[in-house]
Amino acid sequence: MTRPEIYFNEVNERQGVFHRRAFLLGGVTGVGMIALGVQLARLQLVDAGRYKVLSEHNQFDFRLRPAPRGLILDRNGVVLAENRPDFRLFVSRDEHTDVEELLDRLAKLIPIDDDHRQRLITDINDAPRRAPVTVMEDLTWEEFSRINVRTPELPGVTADMGDIRVYPYSGAFAHVIGYVAKVTKDDVTKTGPNADPILLNPGFRIGKSGLEKTFDLDVRGKPGAKKVEVDVKGRVVREDPGGDLAATPGAPLKLTLDADVQNRALEVFGAESGAAVMMDCRTGDVLCLLSAPSFDANRFVKGLTRPEYQALAEYERKPLLNKALLATYPPGSTFKTMVALTALENGVPTSKQFTCAGSWAWGGRVWHCDSAHGTLDMKGAIAKSCDIYFYQLALTQGPDPIAKVARTFGLGQRYDIGLSMNEQRPGLIPDTEYKRRTFPKDPVWHPGETPSMGIGQGYVNVNPLQLCVMCARLANGQKAILPRLVHSVGDQLQPAAAPAIDLPVSKENLAFIREAMAAVITSGTAAGVGKLDLGPITWAGKTGTAQAHSYSGAGRGAHGATGAWDQRDHSWFIAFAPADDPRYAMSVLVEHGGFGASAAAPRAREIMRVALLKDSEVRARIEQPLPQSSRPAPPSAPAAADPSAAAPATPPADIAPAPANAAGAAT
Amino acid sequence: MTVSALTRPGERDRITVKLSQIDWTFCAVITMIALAGGAMLYSVAGGAWSPWAAQHLIRYGLWFMVMIALAMVDLRVWFVIAYPVYVVALVLLVAVAAHGHSSLGAQRWLNLGPIHQFQPSEVMKVGLVLALARFYHSLPAKSAQFSWWLLIPATMIGAPVALVIKQPDLGTALLIAATGLTMMILAGLSLRVVAAGALLLGVAAPLAVKFALKPYQLTRLLTFLNPEADKSGAGYHIIQSKIALGSGGLLGKGFGLGSQSQLNFLPEKQTDFIFASLAEEFGFIGCIGMLILYAAVIFMALRIASIAHSHFGRLGAAGVTVTVALCVLMNGAMVMGLAPVVGVPMPLLSWGGTAMMSMMVGFGLVLAVRVHRYSEITSGKGSLLF
Repeated sequence: MTRPEIYFNEVNERQGVFHRRAFLLGGVTGVGMIALGVQLARLQLVDAGRYKVLSEHNQFDFRLRPAPRGLILDRNGVVLAENRPDFRLFVSRDEHTDVEELLDRLAKLIPIDDDHRQRLITDINDAPRRAPVTVMEDLTWEEFSRINVRTPELPGVTADMGDIRVYPYSGAFAHVIGYVAKVTKDDVTKTGPNADPILLNPGFRIGKSGLEKTFDLDVRGKPGAKKVEVDVKGRVVREDPGGDLAATPGAPLKLTLDADVQNRALEVFGAESGAAVMMDCRTGDVLCLLSAPSFDANRFVKGLTRPEYQALAEYERKPLLNKALLATYPPGSTFKTMVALTALENGVPTSKQFTCAGSWAWGGRVWHCDSAHGTLDMKGAIAKSCDIYFYQLALTQGPDPIAKVARTFGLGQRYDIGLSMNEQRPGLIPDTEYKRRTFPKDPVWHPGETPSMGIGQGYVNVNPLQLCVMCARLANGQKAILPRLVHSVGDQLQPAAAPAIDLPVSKENLAFIREAMAAVITSGTAAGVGKLDLGPITWAGKTGTAQAHSYSGAGRGAHGATGAWDQRDHSWFIAFAPADDPRYAMSVLVEHGGFGASAAAPRAREIMRVALLKDSEVRARIEQPLPQSSRPAPPSAPAAADPSAAAPATPPADIAPAPANAAGAAT
Repeated sequence: MTVSALTRPGERDRITVKLSQIDWTFCAVITMIALAGGAMLYSVAGGAWSPWAAQHLIRYGLWFMVMIALAMVDLRVWFVIAYPVYVVALVLLVAVAAHGHSSLGAQRWLNLGPIHQFQPSEVMKVGLVLALARFYHSLPAKSAQFSWWLLIPATMIGAPVALVIKQPDLGTALLIAATGLTMMILAGLSLRVVAAGALLLGVAAPLAVKFALKPYQLTRLLTFLNPEADKSGAGYHIIQSKIALGSGGLLGKGFGLGSQSQLNFLPEKQTDFIFASLAEEFGFIGCIGMLILYAAVIFMALRIASIAHSHFGRLGAAGVTVTVALCVLMNGAMVMGLAPVVGVPMPLLSWGGTAMMSMMVGFGLVLAVRVHRYSEITSGKGSLLF
């Protein structure tokens, strides 16, 4: 009887336990569900705002867009550097990319040679994941569209349109403006402006030399950003133009250079090597700063191949060197103006005479001259460029007074014209102090060194810019004007580095030097090539010939002018025009050009003519009706021109040159 | 009429009577869940029926019919095939361990002819429930409390758990173990033993962490504890899932507009993280609605378990309920950043063939328990087939 009962109880017991515990289970599950609900409320109600922001950070991304680089213009607004559209192709890899296979597929659409391919494989593999690497630039429209329609089958490949720098007159301005090129690892810094992530933007370029480098930050502008929707792999799914952040375009750079003058200068150099600098001698504006031969800066923008670079770097005429600032040579006879001025300032009269017999024995050796000039006064000595006269004149003065005047006129120093000081060499104006400092074993200035200095040889070393400054100050006659290359950055006018000080030299003496320089053209060393052929407009100048090598004996002229190219003398010419109312001063250097009058002077003339013909006031004088031009007395010409020059022209009256007392010289 | 019909042995075997006993509300609720799953799979595919949504709904349709058919199957048949199903599942698990197909470093799948990627661990979910129910049906209450007999269910749980851990699939192993243990407790395991076991686990867990877990499992665990530590690596999944949920807000971003899932920031968006997609697009309202549906399923299944007359039916239905509840809680907790990332799908919402199969077979059992709740099952001899 007990058995069924037990069985029954037992069954009930199992059922009871199950029911209790199933109830408990339901409760526990309910608690779990409520916990989930609470967590949901926390995430979706309390913290929803925070997570919405995070979600948008996921969804949207800002892609940096470089600002358009500021234009570079000449004084008249001619564009010297601008930007043109550029179709580019990028590849970025992710963990699934088979670089070789991808390049194989690309090679079917665009030309990729083996060298390029090898370089790309290393480039792409070196780059961080998903960072775009430039495969090709300057695609044609056909190539661009061919790639663009196939991007869905080419993962990681993007083709877009960007800006690339272009220099329309690349050759003439390559040294001054410099160029931009791709960013290298060394360009990116930890701090400062070059820590900007825009530098990592593919295709981004920064200024590597010249004004592009010194004014890089001004012309770079501020990058903008493009708002895009991206997926988890960073691929752009959609663009959102409404959310774009606008870029601040780079400031335009206006230079004082004149494109016509500069281009003409490059032309006249032809195959020759050298430099030409021209300044407005009233304001100091540099109209021309040319170095020849030049190179195509656009090639550097795209990236030079090694052989291309070597061809430029190893050429003996050094196209990459800015000779206007970096080539320093003895100024030769152009320096005689300084020696003469020193003598005049120290009381030597212009009538001072020395006799030249073609050679002169002094100090235990024989000093030579080009020819036997006979007895000369100072004006004749400058016009004929008699060495023997200046050997002796220099000896009356000594090195220190000459050096002082030479420095006053701007030689032996560097100028802040907006280019890196490293791109300029100061040259040297020697004096007794210099010898004491530099040659501890022989710290004395030997009298035998003075005659060499008197004709601008020996230790004397200058660059073309300095000679141009010297010439401009001689022509200006009142102010120690300073060269200015950059007119304005954006709206910001660039001030001349420091206000020009008055030249501490007698105006009469300066007028005499200008007269003598005019005589160089009319009756002196440059008489053969010197005519400007611009009606009443004449000019004044001074030839110079700098020894490239020391030669023994008397074979100088012949050897220096006709030897092997790199043995020949350097040819100098400095000039200003118009002679009676100076506006433009210049210096021309032709490396190994031989005699100054034959290589440099004709080139100077061509360049000067362009500048003069562009000057409306000078043109007005050239085109004057006959009755006025036939006025007999040239002194009246400056009198007529001067007020008109002072009134409408920019420089204040005190910078304008004194009426040149060059009456005789001008005829 | 129906209830009395059920109590009369002759009539209750008629198919119309049986059909009338199916819990159609229950069927409606699970169908709503499956349809919601289909909608979400359509959305996360970027508004496309392929590759997931269409297959999901077709599978559900087929399995729904199978479920109804299974509901017609007499509990005595379930009872008889319980051990064989378990044994087959165990054999398949061994087969997977021997030569299964691996994916992402885990060996979980068998290729069975047309059925690719067949996961025997899912079969085991049902197999274990059946086997444990079968075993406890014949076990006296005293023995179920605490006795040497319990070594048998312990082994029945331990063997598949060990095999699944080996695969390695921590989530499923945990699920199977938890289901088995809960069934033992429901069957009457002494609460003192449960407490002692919990204590032992507290001591053993750190040791297990140190020695037994694979590096990636350890990483998952550490990541769960501090997801911010590794934003792009293992912590990424949790962070992105929370962003998806949180950014959904109260009403959600709208159907097909969830940026987290549409732009693939959400990992495994069609399987383990489908709930996060739902949360992103339908917000708090949608989530709570979904949880209510699951709670309803669990509540109804538990109620069916408690009205069954046979111990086998009770435990079988309860076992399936426990599986569903654990899946929902584990997946929910994982998606919400409350638990480590373990691969447990959301029942009927996540995409996955074998998971749906085990779930629908389980529901078939639940319905069968309801239809046959008055059936008496005599243990051992004298049953239907023997």
